Amino acid sequence: MADGTSEHQDRVAIITGGSGGIGNAIAKRLQIEGARVSIMDLASPAGGTGLETSSSLPPISFYQMDVAQERAVETTFKSVMAAEGKIDYLICCAAIFHATPFLQLSADEWKRTLDVNLNGGFLCCREAIRHMQPRRFGRIVLFSSMLARTGGTNSAHYSASKGGVLGLARSLALEVAGENIRVNTISPGVTDTPQPRDHLSEEELYARGASIPLGRIGKVEDMVEGCLFLLGEESAYFTGQDLRINGGASLW
Amino acid sequence: MVTGDVAKVSVITGAGSGLGRATAIRLAKRGDKVALCDLNQNGLEETFGVIRGNGGEATGAVVDVRDSGAVKNWCADVIKQLGKIDYLFSNAGVTSRSPVRDMEFDEWRRLIDTHVSGSFNVCQAALVCMVERGSGAIVVTSSDYAVIGMRHASNYAAAKTALYAFTKALAVEFAPHRIRVNAIGPGPIDTPLLRSRGTPAEWQDRVRDYEARLPMQRLGQPEDVASVVDFLLSDRSSYITGQLLQPNGGQVMW
Repeated sequence: MADGTSEHQDRVAIITGGSGGIGNAIAKRLQIEGARVSIMDLASPAGGTGLETSSSLPPISFYQMDVAQERAVETTFKSVMAAEGKIDYLICCAAIFHATPFLQLSADEWKRTLDVNLNGGFLCCREAIRHMQPRRFGRIVLFSSMLARTGGTNSAHYSASKGGVLGLARSLALEVAGENIRVNTISPGVTDTPQPRDHLSEEELYARGASIPLGRIGKVEDMVEGCLFLLGEESAYFTGQDLRINGGASLW
Repeated sequence: MVTGDVAKVSVITGAGSGLGRATAIRLAKRGDKVALCDLNQNGLEETFGVIRGNGGEATGAVVDVRDSGAVKNWCADVIKQLGKIDYLFSNAGVTSRSPVRDMEFDEWRRLIDTHVSGSFNVCQAALVCMVERGSGAIVVTSSDYAVIGMRHASNYAAAKTALYAFTKALAVEFAPHRIRVNAIGPGPIDTPLLRSRGTPAEWQDRVRDYEARLPMQRLGQPEDVASVVDFLLSDRSSYITGQLLQPNGGQVMW
């Protein structure tokens, strides 16, 4: 901004899956921009929450929570409201993915994947909207995936959950568009985070870059920039849109 | 303000009004040297006036993007004068309204020529320079009508959809050269082009109709699109190519 103040200054942001690769990078970036960040995750961030930093930046709060537990989500959002007084941003990064051949997919794994990746998004959006509506301001970014469109081997459960996220986001976007609440999604291609290392070796992961038009896999920073674009006023006329950050790996 | 070789050089077609003008003003504000063209000399002069009033640097010429020779000469001039082309916003466009059965072939061809052949000419000329330097980014103005249908605008919809396909083809062809190519699909934006689809007397009614129909309940402003082009013509979107970004107030989601 012209006066050097970030537009994210003093915004209250909730990031689910904020201990993971992309979520944590968004948390740290928003912290630098002066936002008040609350992370909700099953595990605390590997490098700490930022509470330890003695700088002038606002601290990042950590709430241990399972996004798939309705009661826990309600209670945790209430705690953030009590501490911060408002919720401006919701960024849903919480997701699980264990690559599994279709015939080996157990009903439990299928359900757990949909519970976290899709139902968790629903529960968190519902809580956030409840607190955003009275103030007529809100920015929501849900992480989908390139696989929602392209599908992928060993990922029927994950692709289905991420496809569901697109439908959820668009419908919610339509419902709240008149209340100055914008809802958009990001669909990353394969990204350099701990997550894909669950089923790919280091070599396999980086080798994926060769088949991508821009010649590399995604970086966490690519997703952070896209997310900040969707949270900020540069995307003021965007809602229900999917930002596909995949190096050209999928063109639709 | 960024100066010297560090400053980016951005070429913008259709900069005499609407989206092209708003984008030119925005990119000049962030420190780009902008090279502008338009068919409308007066419009172009007005854009220059705003940019220079803001302390920015702008150059330009009256160029018909359908004329490949004129486009090549102009781009050569830009490179001679400013040293390079970092970014291109291929935006020049026209519109008209007619049911298909009444549409003159010339009217069909005028839109295809201006949008599709015009964008081909400008992209080709700029890409020569970008490939040499091994970097660059392009944004092409497509439309929501690349995705949905529009009554009485078959030529416009066909041209804009062709531009989206062209964008994707360029993205794949030039990714190895580290050049990104994306399209924007604006919804209804308050520009002279949108206003020209009806009479001035109808305008207020049309605005109310847009407000009632669009999920975000407001007509878009050129700045809503310029900010998206700003993002796409920057390193912040360095992993985005071949995509259609739609500042459309929620008119289309797909």
